[in-house]
Amino acid sequence: MKRIFIDADKCIGCKNCLVACMQAHKPGTVSVFGLDFIDPALESRNKILLDSRGKCIPLFCRHCDKPGCATACMSGAMVKEPETGYVRYDSDRCAQCFMCVMNCPYGVLKPDRETGTYVVKCDFCADHNSEPSCVKMCPVKAIYVEEV
Amino acid sequence: MKHVIIGASAAGISAAKTIRKQRTDDEIVIISKDDTVYSRCMLHKYISGERSVQDLSFVPEGFFKNSRIRHLAGVNATGIDTAKKVVFFDGGQELYDKLLIATGAESVYPPIDGLKGAENVRALRDLSDAKIIREKALAADNIVIIGAGLVGLDAAYALVEMGKKPIIVDLAEAILPANLDVRAAAAYKTEFEKAGCVFRLGVRVIGVIRDQNGLVTSVTLDGKEALPCGLLIVAAGVRPAIGFLENSGIACTDSVTVNEYLETSVPDVYAAGDVAGLSRNWPNAVKQGEIAAMNMCGVSTVYDDTFALKNTVNFFGILSLSFGEFVPADGDIEYCRESRGRYEKVILRNGVPVGVIRQGDISYSGFWQYLIKNKINIADIPISVWKLSFADSFGMAENGEYEWTVRA
Repeated sequence: MKRIFIDADKCIGCKNCLVACMQAHKPGTVSVFGLDFIDPALESRNKILLDSRGKCIPLFCRHCDKPGCATACMSGAMVKEPETGYVRYDSDRCAQCFMCVMNCPYGVLKPDRETGTYVVKCDFCADHNSEPSCVKMCPVKAIYVEEV
Repeated sequence: MKHVIIGASAAGISAAKTIRKQRTDDEIVIISKDDTVYSRCMLHKYISGERSVQDLSFVPEGFFKNSRIRHLAGVNATGIDTAKKVVFFDGGQELYDKLLIATGAESVYPPIDGLKGAENVRALRDLSDAKIIREKALAADNIVIIGAGLVGLDAAYALVEMGKKPIIVDLAEAILPANLDVRAAAAYKTEFEKAGCVFRLGVRVIGVIRDQNGLVTSVTLDGKEALPCGLLIVAAGVRPAIGFLENSGIACTDSVTVNEYLETSVPDVYAAGDVAGLSRNWPNAVKQGEIAAMNMCGVSTVYDDTFALKNTVNFFGILSLSFGEFVPADGDIEYCRESRGRYEKVILRNGVPVGVIRQGDISYSGFWQYLIKNKINIADIPISVWKLSFADSFGMAENGEYEWTVRA
């Protein structure tokens, strides 16, 4: 499977990856200018944390080999796909218990801000026929895809 | 090798999946009292009419066929002969090489005369319960629920969605005592009351009155108040479902006794999930199913991720999450903050987080579980508890998975 690797030392906190993610998951937008940044429904599936020294730490879903989120899922909505290795989320199956948020040991997951009815979760841009949008937009190669 | 699993819920299904992954050609049989696979956590969504039986399933369509699992559905296991390695059930028996007991738990009825056996009294544990509760609730006017824990309130929430206004009785003064602190729970109480529910808290049910047909018509509380009752839902707790093990020689206390490999006192017999008494939540049951299955397949694996004090609650669009303890002990430091619709609490004991509650916004809070269960001292991390995240612990393994660099 493929995984987004992180070189935190290179990250400059420009948040291009966040914007790329927002755009990739907002159907019909062709550029950043199509995004309404005060729309609460506009959310990124990744995040850049700051540690206590102010250093940027990119936080991206690992699509873990043993995903805590999928273990916690009681509806069958969060599933580790054996073929691709991706942890896929099906919002139609989801029963909104949010035990996946509770059980992600890295704190990657969150409920959506506007309605609190689905999980904001990286899908690896799997239906885009290219590498993840965040990776494409990173200007310093702090995130890159590798086969593992 | 032939694996028999008793129970088709969180632990049983995860064990079956794990065995199939490990052993392509082993025979797997699941015996379950349930006719279908469904998630108990969603039963209230069936009662309210939000989901069909099919939509309660947590396995993909064709799961048993595609995984080559024989499912003996709708049969009760009645006993085990561990010398001959046979499981007995209504109408048959099944030989095993490795056996997993994953029968879960069953409802407890409080010791009140006349409660058991009445047609309009029902606990909420199984789909069969939910079906009867839905059917009776559609026609009932006065519905009383005993128990203001998560199951009782799940039932209440479903009834509210059906336009009903149940009365909820509990001996405890606060609702959701196993899930949240008093402050966080109060937010839900307010919403349930706004929706027309009535609480009778700190009150004991001392009796019921039944009519000539045996139906309960009224519930008597210890203040002598009598609540008219057309349907009584019992949500007063559960106990591990071990009744059928009585003469099996498998050691039990209140639950099946297991070692760190989740093996029982009898070789080749394992237990996982609520029946093993180690936890009462879905994620831990799934994990235990996996671990037991690995051992059943000969891959020696210890169950060490035992932390089970974790919860989420979601009613009326208010999300809450909790880990660990809710009430600070002497010498603990408690951090609290509130803003509109939000409440957060962190309890530190000698620098180690022992409890976290978040309500309103639970985003990105999973990392707390790791800190609490691994007893990681955060006192030396020079950052506010409100800004704490995985960042100061960031590390990456060779395969790109995250690794914690801060240790206990």
